Amino acid sequence: MDWLPLLEKGIWFGLAAIGFGVLFNVPKRTLLPIYVMAAIGGLSKVFLMHFEINVILATFVGATAIGFLSIWFAHVRHAPPPVFAIPAVIPMVPGIFAYRMMLGLMHLSGKIDPTTFDHILSETVNNGLKVMFILMALAGGVGVPLLITRKESAKDIKIKRIGFPRG
Amino acid sequence: MAEHHTDKEVKELGAILLNVGALLMVSGASTARIRNTITRIATSFGYNADMLISQRTLMLSLYDEDNNYFFNSLKRTSPHGVNFTVLSGISKMSWQVLEEKWTVKQINEEVERLVALPHYSRWIVLVLVGLAGASFCRVAGGTTIDMLVVFIATFSGLFIRQETLKKGFNPYMCIYFASFTASFIAGPLVRLGTGHMQEHAFATSVLFLIPGVPLINSFSDMIEGNSQNGLIRGLNGFIISFAIALGMLTSMLL
Repeated sequence: MDWLPLLEKGIWFGLAAIGFGVLFNVPKRTLLPIYVMAAIGGLSKVFLMHFEINVILATFVGATAIGFLSIWFAHVRHAPPPVFAIPAVIPMVPGIFAYRMMLGLMHLSGKIDPTTFDHILSETVNNGLKVMFILMALAGGVGVPLLITRKESAKDIKIKRIGFPRG
Repeated sequence: MAEHHTDKEVKELGAILLNVGALLMVSGASTARIRNTITRIATSFGYNADMLISQRTLMLSLYDEDNNYFFNSLKRTSPHGVNFTVLSGISKMSWQVLEEKWTVKQINEEVERLVALPHYSRWIVLVLVGLAGASFCRVAGGTTIDMLVVFIATFSGLFIRQETLKKGFNPYMCIYFASFTASFIAGPLVRLGTGHMQEHAFATSVLFLIPGVPLINSFSDMIEGNSQNGLIRGLNGFIISFAIALGMLTSMLL
C-alpha cells in the first residue's frame, strides 16, 4: 500500500485553503487552523476514496470533520466558525468534474453525431450530478454541527458535550 | 419617556445597526448571522429589532418593550467584497456589547477601527493564491510542470482581476477576464511543455475564481429558511461560474 502520496496530498489541501483564506482576508490568527482543518478534511476524503467509497459520501465526511473542527477552533481562536470552515472546504470543490461537465455541454451544443451523442450525454449528466451533489455535501457537511446541536450560535455549544449526547 | 436625549440615542443606535448589518452582508455573512448579530446588539440596549435583509438593501425597525415605535430606516449596501476580518471582528464585538454593556459611541469607534484594518498586501495575496492554484493542480493529480504552469496562470489571472476591478468593470466581466487570462496561459504552456494537452492544468488554473462564499452561504440560507436570499446568492454563484466557463471557452476557441 502506498500511503506516502496520499499523505502528501494533505500538504496541498492545506496550502490551497491558505490561498483562499488570504483571498477572503481572514484574520492572521486563523491561518494555521485553516491549514490544519483543510489538511484533515482533505485527507479523510482521500482516505475514504482510497477504500472505494463514493466521492460524494467521502466529501461529506471530510466536510463534516471540518465543520466540527471549525466549532472547536472558533472557541480557541475567537472567530466565527464560517471564517475557518469556508476556506477549508474550498480545496475539495470538484474542479475537474465541473470542467468535464462544461466540456461535455459544449460538445452537446455543437455538431451532434448520433452515434456518440448518448455516450457524451450520459458522461455529462454523470459529471454534472457529481458536481451538484459534491457542492451540496460540502455546504451540508459544514452545517452539520450547528444542525445537530440545535444552537443558533457556536458560542452556545459546550465543547465537552459534542459527540457524547446523553439521553 | 421618549425624552430628547433618548430619541437621539435611538437614532444613532439604528444608524450603527444598519451600518453593521450592511458591513456583514458585504463581508460574506449568512442571513441568519446578520439577523442574530443585530438582534443581539439591539437586545443589549433594551430594544426589539425587526428587519428585512436582502443582498442590496437592509430595512430595520426598532421598538422598545412596550412596542413603542422608535426607529425605522433603510440602508443600501456597498458592492460585495468578502472580508472575514470584518466578519469575525463584528461577531466578537457583538458579544462584548452584550457582556460589557458598550455604548453606541464605543460601537462606532470599534466599527471604524475594523473597517480601517489593513488587508494582506497585494503581492502576498498573489503569491499565496498562485500557490493555492498549484496545490489544486497537485490534488487533482497534476505533475510538477503542471503545477508551475498553474502557478503562473493563477498569478496572472488574479492580477488581471484586481486590475480590471480597479478600472471599474462589471464584477462578472472581471471574472471573465481573469478566467480567460488564466486558461489562456495554462492551455498553450502545457501543450508546448510536454507535447500533449493536460486537462489538470487547464481545469485547475481557473479554480481561484470559484464562488465558494456565495454558494456555501446560499446553502446555509436555504436550510435556515431564508430561501429568497439563498436563491439570490445561488444565482449569483451560478452567474460567476458561467463567467468562468465563458472565459475558458474563449481561450479554447482561440
